[in-house]
Amino acid sequence: MHFATLALAFFAVVLTGCPDAKTEGLDPNALPESQRADYAIFAERCSKCHSLSRPLNAGITDDAYWAMYVARMRRQPGSGISESDEVAVLRFLHYYSSEQKDAVQRKNKDVVDTIADGGAP
Amino acid sequence: MKRRGSGAHGFAFFLFVAAFFVLRQAEAIEHNVAGSAQLDYHFVPTERDANANAGTFSTFDGFTVEAAMKLSVDVSPHLSGNVKVCFGCHGFEADMFYFDLRAVDELNLRIGRFSPSFGSFNLRHDPANHKFSDKPLPYDMGRMLRKNIWGNGVLPAPFPDNGAEIDGTHFFGDAAQMDYAAYAVMGFRNDQPNPTDLNFQEAHVPNYFVDNNARPAVGARLALTLRASAATDATVGVSGMFGTYDPNNDLTYAIAGADLAVRVQRTNFRAEVLARRTQFDTSNPAIFKYALSPADGDFFMKDGAYIEAEQPIVRDLDFLARIDGMLRMGNVLATTPLSDKSSVVRESLGLAYAVERNFRLKTSGELWQFSDRDPETGRRLEVGIHLGAVATF
Repeated sequence: MHFATLALAFFAVVLTGCPDAKTEGLDPNALPESQRADYAIFAERCSKCHSLSRPLNAGITDDAYWAMYVARMRRQPGSGISESDEVAVLRFLHYYSSEQKDAVQRKNKDVVDTIADGGAP
Repeated sequence: MKRRGSGAHGFAFFLFVAAFFVLRQAEAIEHNVAGSAQLDYHFVPTERDANANAGTFSTFDGFTVEAAMKLSVDVSPHLSGNVKVCFGCHGFEADMFYFDLRAVDELNLRIGRFSPSFGSFNLRHDPANHKFSDKPLPYDMGRMLRKNIWGNGVLPAPFPDNGAEIDGTHFFGDAAQMDYAAYAVMGFRNDQPNPTDLNFQEAHVPNYFVDNNARPAVGARLALTLRASAATDATVGVSGMFGTYDPNNDLTYAIAGADLAVRVQRTNFRAEVLARRTQFDTSNPAIFKYALSPADGDFFMKDGAYIEAEQPIVRDLDFLARIDGMLRMGNVLATTPLSDKSSVVRESLGLAYAVERNFRLKTSGELWQFSDRDPETGRRLEVGIHLGAVATF
């Protein structure tokens, strides 16, 4: 394996690759149309330094805390998260955490209903 | 010594647990817990009979694990803290324990224990944040083949230290971002008689609470990020660090680095160059392989570089390629197989597959080319294969 082989292998993959793939993130097609642009900015900026699983699984549901969290990330060296990006990222995280909260409430209600009906949770 | 080390492990873990439970009671303070663990199996068929015990110069082949838990706290918009405990070759260790006191984006004071700003890899040193199983050679901390001969990388990452840093960032609209940092920390150390190199193990448990000399090491970093389009940006940076490492403040080290990172959609190209000049003690010429030159014979240079690329193939699969290496020039100990000009080059190809959002499999193959023969096997070429998995929460 020499440099030329390595470079050839890489550029072959670049040419046949999938530049828009957002690994470890959400499927943009499963999001409402109104959220896709904000999600694209979130995915582009936040995946630069870490996996998207970090924010998506942070468990934060409070908008005020998201604001401090994203501001701290924006100030990271070379983050590339400008102030206008920050607004879009926060909009998406508000949508995402609201969906997560609703999902938990629906699940809890299902468990309560099942117990009330005499079944096992 | 062993008892001191055990105490340090316990103290680091105690600090993390105590901080976590105190914050659970203080609901007004926003906090977030994150963690990662990587298990890696390194198979080196060409070094079948070697072992990694202390005193040998081989490698940590077989299984290794790196795990970390991090607690981030936003006390207010102007005060935040981070505590990170990691578990690896050194046992439990406080990798971070610092506070940021920020006046504005452009002026932040960081105090405590942290890895000072140097290079671009620093931000990605956690195994969850880099897609190869191991670090680039200039930043290697014990995973490289023949690690004891080479004394690890140029600047093994992470390099947590105790001290203070002033840093900041400024955005020029959406088009550009400039970062700076300047710091004073304890610095690297070597407390052994006749020191001839930095002893990175002394920067970790059980010694990391106290300095070995009264003079801080200082350093700085400057970086500029330019955005060409919504999905294309480039960062260029320069870093430097200077200090003394012996108890008498006689022996200096200086590290300089330059880095470039380019991102085009999800394709990442990264390159870094590091150079370290390290003075050594010459009071006992008999320990060296070569006669000491009267002019500039009291230091060696250790340089390193890497270039790497990441390219998504399909949604959950990334293709990885990297070339990295190191060059060491200068006198060496009589007991080492290295010469006055030794080099190592590694070429790697790999894949990273996200099984699900928080779980990634990693594999890579690597070809090593050493300038010096292995004294046991006579080999210059070595082959390694990594199989790893990393999970995060």
